[in-house]
Amino acid sequence: MKQVAISLDAVREKNLMQLKKLNVVLFPVRYNDKYYADALASGEFTKLAYYSDICVGAIACRLEKKDPGAVRVYIMTLGVLAPYRGLGIGTELLNHVLEQCSKQSISEIYLHVQTNNDDAINFYKKFGFEVTETIQNYYTNITPPDCYVVSKHLEAQPRK
Amino acid sequence: MALCTRIFSASKAIEILEAYEGTLDDDYPPENERCEHSEMLLYKVSLLEECGLLEKALEELHKKETKIVDKLAYKEQEVSLLVKLNRLEEAAKLYRALLYMNPDNYRYYEGLQRCAGLYSEKGQYSSDEIQRLDALYQSLQQEYTWSSAAKRIPLDFLQGERFQAAVDNYIRPLLTKGVPSLFSDLSPLYDQPGKADILEKLILELEDSLKKTGCFPGRTVKEPPSTLMWTLFLVAQHYDRRSQYGTALAKIDEAISHTPTVIDLYSVKSRILKHAGDLTAAAALADEARCMDLADRYINSECVKRMLQADQVSLAEKTAVLFTKDGDQHNNLYDMQCMYELASGESYFRQGELGKALKKFLAVEKHYADITEDQFDFHSYCLRKMTLRTYVEMLKFQDRLHSHSYFCKAAAGAIRCYLKLFDSPPKSATEKDEEMSKLLPSQKKKMRQKQRKAEARAKKEAESKNEEISASNVSKSGKRHVKAVDPDPHGEKLLQVEDPLMEATKYLKLLQKHSPDSLETHFLSFEVNMRKQKILLAFQAVKNLMRLDAENPLSHRCLIRFFNKVSSMPAPVSDAERLVWSVLEAERPAISQLHQKSLTDANISFLREHENSLMHRVAVAEMLYLLEPNKKSEAVKLIEDSPNNMVSIKGAPPVQLWKLEDCIAVHEVLENVLIDKEAASRWKARCAECFPYSRYFEGIRSSVVSKAYLNNLIDNSENGASNHPELNNSIALNGKLETFKDLKI
Repeated sequence: MKQVAISLDAVREKNLMQLKKLNVVLFPVRYNDKYYADALASGEFTKLAYYSDICVGAIACRLEKKDPGAVRVYIMTLGVLAPYRGLGIGTELLNHVLEQCSKQSISEIYLHVQTNNDDAINFYKKFGFEVTETIQNYYTNITPPDCYVVSKHLEAQPRK
Repeated sequence: MALCTRIFSASKAIEILEAYEGTLDDDYPPENERCEHSEMLLYKVSLLEECGLLEKALEELHKKETKIVDKLAYKEQEVSLLVKLNRLEEAAKLYRALLYMNPDNYRYYEGLQRCAGLYSEKGQYSSDEIQRLDALYQSLQQEYTWSSAAKRIPLDFLQGERFQAAVDNYIRPLLTKGVPSLFSDLSPLYDQPGKADILEKLILELEDSLKKTGCFPGRTVKEPPSTLMWTLFLVAQHYDRRSQYGTALAKIDEAISHTPTVIDLYSVKSRILKHAGDLTAAAALADEARCMDLADRYINSECVKRMLQADQVSLAEKTAVLFTKDGDQHNNLYDMQCMYELASGESYFRQGELGKALKKFLAVEKHYADITEDQFDFHSYCLRKMTLRTYVEMLKFQDRLHSHSYFCKAAAGAIRCYLKLFDSPPKSATEKDEEMSKLLPSQKKKMRQKQRKAEARAKKEAESKNEEISASNVSKSGKRHVKAVDPDPHGEKLLQVEDPLMEATKYLKLLQKHSPDSLETHFLSFEVNMRKQKILLAFQAVKNLMRLDAENPLSHRCLIRFFNKVSSMPAPVSDAERLVWSVLEAERPAISQLHQKSLTDANISFLREHENSLMHRVAVAEMLYLLEPNKKSEAVKLIEDSPNNMVSIKGAPPVQLWKLEDCIAVHEVLENVLIDKEAASRWKARCAECFPYSRYFEGIRSSVVSKAYLNNLIDNSENGASNHPELNNSIALNGKLETFKDLKI
């Protein structure tokens, strides 16, 4: 297949609808206003992915305060439209966020994955994530209702 | 001075310019005046060209080559002279040089074709010519591999198999790249016979192959996933063009569920719904598209346009002002001269609000008056900057200004409003008082209280708005602008005009002067003059209609109506009337349709000539009823028996000939002119089947029937523009969810 340009763009008020459209198709859940507010507030950690100038995927994160005084990143959603999977777009989105983490000396990044989602678990393992916890009955409307907490600890970037 | 003289005689102007040049030194011009001098020289050459002194013009051009700064204009002027002098070989060489500079300029290709003797205005060529053209363009394509014009132009003249191969080659890379305007590019080809079918076969093959193997037919290279989406997009637009709206909608829905984030898909779906007759759904969808990129002005304008077409005027205005500067938004919209008032006025007219409609149409007219006045700013500027050629062009443009289509539409709209006012005048103030006096005293008191409250409220609003405006202006510029508050925001005063026909005539005169070749102009002239009882002027209008298009049902109607009226007028009494009569007598034999025939017979022969056309039959039926009112049922039968020949292409659903807007017009005729309610409802039921998406006919798939909640949504969204229902999107959960993130509860 020919090499096609993949680019990332920030999420703003003006293009928020693109993120909403993606979420409607990718996830069987309606996200509330707080989700979108957090995404907008997270700056560089939330991105839309464009394949040949078409918006096909997104990663949305939330920055959480961890005592004492540190910050950790929580990945709220990461998804790519079905016809465009397997092209490295998801990788690029996640790599971007990991880069941001190391630039800003953030040491922890984590997310929740439904227990039956083997593909997701394998995907994150490739990036050095590990399953650290299991939570029963985390979800209310889907089966299985349990989830894993998948997280990664990052080494601090040595100051030059 | 040269310019003034130019108005009278180009040769005089040249003399003056030469005299001026004579006074200059040899090393003129200085560095900072080179542009102006060069402009003057080019202007002189163009004057010479206009006078017909072509050789001299060319000589002059070559002599002054070093002093002319605008190299491109130099070359273009030179090539135009060479062609006129018939020095085609030299011209061809020069065109090739121009093409090297810009291989996408269609005029250069046209010029090259002319030089080779291979240019035809209507694009019709013999097969021998096609061969030569094909060879020419093959060589040009080799030379300019990046030029899209060289690839697109052959599609116009190639036929049959060669066409198929060429268009296949043209489309494929554009689908891979993802060019949303591909269909608009190919659109003119649909008017050429046979090409639409070839295109259909081709793109369906592409779609099929992409779905089965992910590659184009005959290739093994895998296409990126977006190609399928763009192909579906193209297919949907293709079916829309061929009026197969059901299929078109199915295809676009498929594209949307494939990649729901592409705004163009929603725009096209909105357009398909509009063609199919469901304007409200189209507007809702256009709004959905708009929400996907709030920073895009184009899509905002499109959304406003659709809302106006769906008669949602206040919502449209709220949406439009999202892109105006803060402050006095209403006036800003007017200042931008974007002519949205035209669509807005037409919408009010449809809704019967003549006052507001008139206000809008007159606003458009004022824009044009403003544009005419603006030219005075340019006189001194152009003379100073010596941009003579552009200046002359601007003057010519101003002369033709009122023939612009927006103005014509606005003038026509205004005239129609006045015609309606004449036919059914609004209640005058005295009548209203009379009505009031009939009420009981307690009711009267209540009404007066209501009126007073309403007036006070309006006054307060106007005052507060005024304060707001002046406050914001003060904060911005420190000065006090007092923007004129519109004293008549709803056009009520306009409605009270004494003589609507006189107002209408003002606009009519402008139309007649600048758009004499438009059927509409003469039709309106006919209507106005009939009402004014100006027989000869009406007759002039009829003659013009006959001259322009005698076979048009509109012309036929006017002809019959006119002579019917004339024959029913009393015998001439005064001298003036006798004069009019004699003129008509003299002219009547000249009209071939009525030669030796009575009106009824003329009607029947018109029918025989146009038996298969719905609109012609309707015109005949109307006239039949007019001439012989007792034959109403025959007239109705004439309409109902109209054939709707279905043309069917193999494998595709049959395509009907009737157009939606025509059918709506027929329904109105049945209800209002022939006044046969039963026939009207029969017609409505029949059309509902033919046009299932039409709201007018309440087709089963229109939003009137199936998506009743749409209406609620539109009604409730008065306070905002961000209601975007998950309308027509099938929320397809794509098969394997590879990356499934957490859920917010």
